[in-house]
Amino acid sequence: MTASSRAAEGEDGEAGSTRLPFFAKAMRERISRFFYRHPGTEGLLFALPFIAIWAVFLAWPVVYGIYISLFQWNPLQGSKFVGLANYISLFHEPRFWNAVANTFKFAGMTIPLILGIGLGFALMLWAWGKRRRGMVLVQAALFFPYLLTVSIVAIVWKWLLNRDFGLFQYAINRIFPHAPVFLTEPAWALPAIALATAWWLSGYRMLVFQAGLDEIPVELFEAAEIDGARPHHKLFHLILPLLKPSLLFALVLTTISAFRTFGQVLIMTEGGPGRASEVLALYLYRVAFDYFDIGKAAAAGVVLLLMILVMTLLGVRLLGLKSELQ
Amino acid sequence: MQGLAAKPIKITFNTLFHEADAKAMEQIIDLFNKTHTDIQVELIQGGWTQYYAQLRLSVMSGNPPQIGICHTNKLVEMADYLTPLDASPVGNLLEMAGIDPTKYVEAAWKAGELGGHHYLIPLDTHGWGLWYNKDIFKAAGLDPENPPRTLPEFFLAAEAIKKAGYYAFHPAEDAAPRKLRRAWYVFYWQMGGRLFDEGYTHATFNNEKGLLALKMLVAIFNDFGWNKPGSNGYDQFAAGKLGMLVAGNWFYGTAVKSGVNWGYAPMPNFFGIPYTWGNSHQIVIPLQPKGTPKEVYLAAMEVIKFISEHSHIWTMYGGHITAYKPEAENPELLASDYWKRSGKWLNAMAQKGLVHYPINHPKGSELEHAIQAQIELAVNGVISPEEALERAAAECDRILQGG
Repeated sequence: MTASSRAAEGEDGEAGSTRLPFFAKAMRERISRFFYRHPGTEGLLFALPFIAIWAVFLAWPVVYGIYISLFQWNPLQGSKFVGLANYISLFHEPRFWNAVANTFKFAGMTIPLILGIGLGFALMLWAWGKRRRGMVLVQAALFFPYLLTVSIVAIVWKWLLNRDFGLFQYAINRIFPHAPVFLTEPAWALPAIALATAWWLSGYRMLVFQAGLDEIPVELFEAAEIDGARPHHKLFHLILPLLKPSLLFALVLTTISAFRTFGQVLIMTEGGPGRASEVLALYLYRVAFDYFDIGKAAAAGVVLLLMILVMTLLGVRLLGLKSELQ
Repeated sequence: MQGLAAKPIKITFNTLFHEADAKAMEQIIDLFNKTHTDIQVELIQGGWTQYYAQLRLSVMSGNPPQIGICHTNKLVEMADYLTPLDASPVGNLLEMAGIDPTKYVEAAWKAGELGGHHYLIPLDTHGWGLWYNKDIFKAAGLDPENPPRTLPEFFLAAEAIKKAGYYAFHPAEDAAPRKLRRAWYVFYWQMGGRLFDEGYTHATFNNEKGLLALKMLVAIFNDFGWNKPGSNGYDQFAAGKLGMLVAGNWFYGTAVKSGVNWGYAPMPNFFGIPYTWGNSHQIVIPLQPKGTPKEVYLAAMEVIKFISEHSHIWTMYGGHITAYKPEAENPELLASDYWKRSGKWLNAMAQKGLVHYPINHPKGSELEHAIQAQIELAVNGVISPEEALERAAAECDRILQGG
């Protein structure tokens, strides 16, 4: 290194302070130029650790799942490529279609129920005002079920709905002596599980909506009031349109969770009575781990993935959120 | 080097046991570990619902336990994942370990043979019997020391209990779908019914006997008013509200703890041959990775032999009847409360060949699910028994014919 170059380094405040050798400085300049010419690369590098984990634990299993859905999978004896045979076998099975129908029924009940209750709670608390006494307590009580695991929720509700000793069943029977026994009647098993699921998940959606409500500028409400808007006008023409991003987030989350529901069904009804509550995720589990037909189960998994994808995109389109997404 | 040589061989034993039987196995393994310095067993126990899937996956991933458990009827499904004990990679383990087949209950030993090889070492026979509440019997004017043995006696007893204001009878433990199916099996088997033809090409239960068996099961929960669909017999019995319960030997601990003054009897003869539902736990060596040393196989066999030779503990505390004949005569076992109050009856049923094992077919689980889904709907009054059997037979045929 020449004396002049050392002097030049010394004049450079930053480089001088860290005493970088010339080649390191040159390298840094080249890197800076590279990032300047290739915008976005820097962000990608920051995201790389997460992308690596995501690729190994999420993307790869999905790709491998699609791959094994084309095989009669048996690593011990040798897997056999069967093309689309697993899908064809699946589509010919009435039990599969029953599971698909149950999944849609369950989603059809759960999604509006969870979003409706979550939104209702959020609006109730918002209207009640933040500074009211006991507000935090009510909020915590409504959010609490979300902290429980699915197995605890399912066991608690199974007890509540127990024919002989269930508190909920007992109370309902006191009011309506001919009320159904929820978990043993095919028409009521899925709604009962949907109710338990709504109790479990609505609290978190409530928080999402509360955050959305807090984002709405107060001036807009003042202006609406000056214009003589009534509460329902405010709800439908002001609150709901401005809550769209929160609604989208909650909808995507709830759709995914409703379509891949498994634990509650397994514990509360095992898919019964008969197959009245056997949803696709439970069917997949049985095929994979009871019948050990992994190829066919993987095919069912691919179908489930596509269903979730289509339904989520449909939800986004329904909400008309293109501009928000962009 | 001396230190290395003295290091004990580690054997992992993965079971599907839980609650009382898990504790019983723990006692045996603790005893083994205390009395052996050259081999140490790590016991891993838990639920049975995903056990077979886990066992298969552990073999596939090259990390299986050295010892596992297999129900008799699961051998056909699991054989590819098990070590043939008479033809293992290191030789005939049965001979090397000095296992004497004549010391095991013959039927249980033979159940371990498939395709000319022997895979299983019998541990026990377990099954259902009749638990009854002596106080309710007294309240109903029945003899508490003389439980019903035949269908007419059973009807009289059940009606008397109903009249006394109790639930009369629950034929299927907690009424889970698989339990309802087993209850139907029992009635059907007692009539001499067969579920499938010899070659498992089609279902053979959609007939008069199958229908009568299902009508009986449906009537118990509906027409007879002896119980209600969806009721949990375990809970009802433990709460002192149920007169008679069909349940497995694993109910012993709960019955004792409940404080109910209970009695136990063999399965009544409802329809001709007093069969009961049952099965057998057997011990296996899952398929080991290539290059597993001979010492590991021999150590595993030593543990298995020890379990057999101490299986009176298994019976006393786990409730399952040992399949190792010398242990069935163990004085400590014969003097135990469990044996006197219930074990001897289950043993008598097993000795008489009245414990009927379930479906033994590679698609056994799928077939059983097909049957139980329809049985449950019939019991809940959603479809008629005729429709249930028709649907179940059609689905079984489709499964067997690969549709």
